[in-house]
Amino acid sequence: MDATTAWSPLPAEVGIYAAAELRAQWLALLAGLPPGGGTVELDSSGVEQIDAAGAQLLLALAHALKVRGGSLQLARPSRTLVDGCKVLGLSNLLEARA
Amino acid sequence: MSDEDRDFIAAALPVFLSEAEEQVERLEQLLLELEADPGDRELLDALFRCAHTVKGSAGVFGLDALVGFTHHVETLLDQIREGRRALDAGVSTLLLLCNDQLRRLIDAAGHGAADDPEGAPARDALVLRLRAACSAEPAPPPPAVALPVSLTPAGERLWHVWVRFGAETFRNGMDPLALLNYLKTLGRLEHVVCDAAAVPELEMLDAETCHLGFEFGLRTAAGREEIEAAFSFVREDCELHLIEPDAGPEQFVALIQSLPQHPRLGDILVSAGAISQAQLHAALAEQERSRAVGAPAAPLGEILKTKAGVPAAVVDAALQRQARTEGGGEDRFIRVQADRLDAVINLLGELVIAGAGAAELARESRQSKLVQANDQIGGLIEEIRNATLQLRMVPIGESFSRFRRVVRDTAAELGKEVQLEIQGGETELDKSMVERIADPLMHLVRNALDHGLETAEQRRAVGKPGQGRLVLSACHDGGSILIGIADDGRGIDRERVLQRAWDKGLVEHGVVPAEADILNLIFEPGFSTAEKITNLSGRGVGMDVVRRNIEALRGSVAISSELGSGTRIEIRLPLTLAIIDGFLVGVGTSRFIFPLDAVVEVIEGRSAEAAMQPDGCGVLALRGQALPVLSLRTLYELDDTPAPARASVVVVQSGARRYGVLVDALLGQHQTVIKPLGRMLRTLRGMSGSTILGNGEVALIFDPEALRRFAERPAQRATAPADR
Repeated sequence: MDATTAWSPLPAEVGIYAAAELRAQWLALLAGLPPGGGTVELDSSGVEQIDAAGAQLLLALAHALKVRGGSLQLARPSRTLVDGCKVLGLSNLLEARA
Repeated sequence: MSDEDRDFIAAALPVFLSEAEEQVERLEQLLLELEADPGDRELLDALFRCAHTVKGSAGVFGLDALVGFTHHVETLLDQIREGRRALDAGVSTLLLLCNDQLRRLIDAAGHGAADDPEGAPARDALVLRLRAACSAEPAPPPPAVALPVSLTPAGERLWHVWVRFGAETFRNGMDPLALLNYLKTLGRLEHVVCDAAAVPELEMLDAETCHLGFEFGLRTAAGREEIEAAFSFVREDCELHLIEPDAGPEQFVALIQSLPQHPRLGDILVSAGAISQAQLHAALAEQERSRAVGAPAAPLGEILKTKAGVPAAVVDAALQRQARTEGGGEDRFIRVQADRLDAVINLLGELVIAGAGAAELARESRQSKLVQANDQIGGLIEEIRNATLQLRMVPIGESFSRFRRVVRDTAAELGKEVQLEIQGGETELDKSMVERIADPLMHLVRNALDHGLETAEQRRAVGKPGQGRLVLSACHDGGSILIGIADDGRGIDRERVLQRAWDKGLVEHGVVPAEADILNLIFEPGFSTAEKITNLSGRGVGMDVVRRNIEALRGSVAISSELGSGTRIEIRLPLTLAIIDGFLVGVGTSRFIFPLDAVVEVIEGRSAEAAMQPDGCGVLALRGQALPVLSLRTLYELDDTPAPARASVVVVQSGARRYGVLVDALLGQHQTVIKPLGRMLRTLRGMSGSTILGNGEVALIFDPEALRRFAERPAQRATAPADR
């Protein structure tokens, strides 16, 4: 059974300015990930601003989890996040993984 | 006027004059071409531009009379190209007369006169006629260009966008998401796919570097330029393909073909809307990049097909369009002084000889590296030689076009209807030959018009169409150029020719020469069958001068004719007078060169099979056919060394006939710089020049045509009889 780990919620701004810091945070958290991966949940209700750089980062995270046998879940995505992902053709990021 | 201005004008005036003369020539050619197709939009535009260019440049030099007169011409031409005035025969003749006046004014300018007072009354009269010819109505609104429906911007179309954003996109402050959102304001985004394949692992990812690409459909009424404008800030750093899947290539092709002239492939495609300016620039930049790193640059068309996603059919249509445009004289040229070019070619000739000398010494030294190095130099010299000789080549079509006016005016004067057809105008020959062939051609054309072609009634009376046909043709054949002047007129009456020859004592009375020779009697001096002498021809000084001029160019002229059907005159000229590829042979201690183009094959060591007669002629059986063979040893009495046991045969082709030449040794290919034969040796038949070999020896160059006559006709002396 997959364990679900909640990491820090996504900040209001998921964009170029926050990207570097978010990446560092996530890398550290990845290191502490239990073997077998599990689902990492990010509360996305607070996202008010998203840009392509932020989306790219999320993509990289999703991929990083996948190679570790896990998956990414963007929980309770805000309207902004949903619209942004749709425009970028990344609606699959928002799909809940089993 | 200051001294500087005077100096400028003195320096620039010759260039203006030469260009203005070209424009005026072109104007005339265009007018004549337009007579066949008065509605041709491109030609009409080009016509206007000729006058416009002359007027503009003339203004710089203060040639007011020229400017003023040209202005009136230009006004009428402008109306014609806009369709407000039709170019009928009357207007065409008026414009031709005006063009003659332009020539006079330009000529006057060449002699330092800003005006040509003698011609002023004629010009005033023409100006009145020009004004009368101009339409007084205001210009109608330009007709709407009927575009295929799917290209009408009013409708929404589905564009396909493929974009790879560059690495610096984020750092440049750009956001692809914002850009896509902006595109949504132009229409609807459909099926957006994000290509994240290039995004590295999180561990390696630099969050500020963009690795994203997108593919999507954009349904919008906006045009290509507008869509691309959305990408303008990221343009430098991304790869963008914008494709219209709706518009099929055929529709683009149709649009391209209806465009006004454009000299450049890129411009054609941009005008058609098949690509945008930005795409064109990117393709050109790509070409530049390749060149900069020394890689062979792909042709622009290729780059546009592969990188810009332009359908191949569209690019091909544009290339065809460009080819037509360039054929119309819109090429980019550099003006070069003819004698500088000649100086270069002379030096090149010396280089070829010196190179051969060096190669010879290298061979003797037996140092393989030296030989190799010399071979390389030899190869480069050959390439430079070819390229340089190409510089002097011009299409003969330019000369031919001049005849349109001659034919038109002369036919009108004689009350005959004649259509001039030009074939193979793009065939190239050496510029100096073009100049020297002009007079003989003129004479032959005039002859055909005067004597060859009948009047319209005469033609109809014998069942021919009223309009006579005169064909000027040119093509390459081996190392020669063949120029033909053919008419479908009354042909040559051999009986009358023979009678005339008897009357003039050219042939002994009662003797009937061979069929082929009767017609050649026309080229004898003092011959003319014209009953009356017109101011065009008939004085009997024409045809022999024509033949002499052609033979002076190392050419030959042949005539064939059928009574009632027409006459054809064929002139054969060498492509160049300067340097040729040759094949070196040895006979005794002498060396000879055959033009390589004329050499079909070589047969080593089979001389025993040739049945040779004492006079030096013989026959060889070659693959079941009889080949006439000539022995150089016997012909030129080269008995200084004993004949080798096994000699060789060089098979030479001249025109449609082949013959063999028996030689002692085959010495291989040789780049041959042609030096003319001295006056003493002019009477030596069969030779067309001489050259200097690498070892300093002189070799004589054969004229395959002349030699052929020896091979086919036994018992001839090698030198011309003394009384000629």
